[in-house]
Amino acid sequence: MSEQVHNRLSVVRAERKVSRQRLAEAVGAHYQTIGYIERGQYNPSLDLALRIAKYFELPVEAIFSLEPFRPLTDEVYGRTS
Amino acid sequence: MTTSQPQGLTRYDRRMIAIMNNRAGRQLYATRGRRRAIVAVHVALTAGMVAVVAGGPRLIGGRWQMLAAVAVLLPLWCVAMGMINGATRGLLELRDHALDERQLAERDRVFRRAHRVVTAALLAALIGMEIGGWSEAPWLEVPLRDALMVVLAMHWLMPAWAAGLMVQDEPADDLDADELEAGALAS
Repeated sequence: MSEQVHNRLSVVRAERKVSRQRLAEAVGAHYQTIGYIERGQYNPSLDLALRIAKYFELPVEAIFSLEPFRPLTDEVYGRTS
Repeated sequence: MTTSQPQGLTRYDRRMIAIMNNRAGRQLYATRGRRRAIVAVHVALTAGMVAVVAGGPRLIGGRWQMLAAVAVLLPLWCVAMGMINGATRGLLELRDHALDERQLAERDRVFRRAHRVVTAALLAALIGMEIGGWSEAPWLEVPLRDALMVVLAMHWLMPAWAAGLMVQDEPADDLDADELEAGALAS
């Protein structure tokens, strides 16, 4: 599959202070799989993406997107360029 | 795979997951070069075992010598196999329900690669036999039993060798700093 699914999992995980191991245990995956997803080397199934979103109590589109995410600082401070 | 999906995971599965993900010896297979060396050693040990068992007393003298050779080779073979399993986090040893979706996809990829390699090796051997048949080369007259042992070993172990060669280096940040600190304190 060549489609790249972008994600901001590492940002959300760091913000919530959740380790890869803890997230992996919560969503039923191997900790390496979380690293693969964060580096964009593996696109999670819909099932796993939804489980990750549910763990963080966020909509799935807040973590995963077909378009690249804008930097959070740009979103917060509204830079458009 | 983790404790978050206890359904279907037996005590055996949990024990195997813990063993296969034990990080104690990870420095031994941390780099691609080391993993290649381990796989090469394992291939050589397997070839030695097959030669001893297939050749038997005819190759190395007597039954006791054969048993002695197996007694020396087998523990080394098991250690190398353990290292391959450690490097692949038990990709081929754990049962399906003990692996997550990425690991299952990776295992499929490993099996496909191994299947292609074994098919190519068998095709090359067959072509070699045919050519040898034309020239009546005596060195190609291999007993069927010996040939079957080689094929069995290849068929059985090629996925492990392929997995050992295909596994990627674990990035330094794959374990979070707090886990690394905990590991350092524990060791």
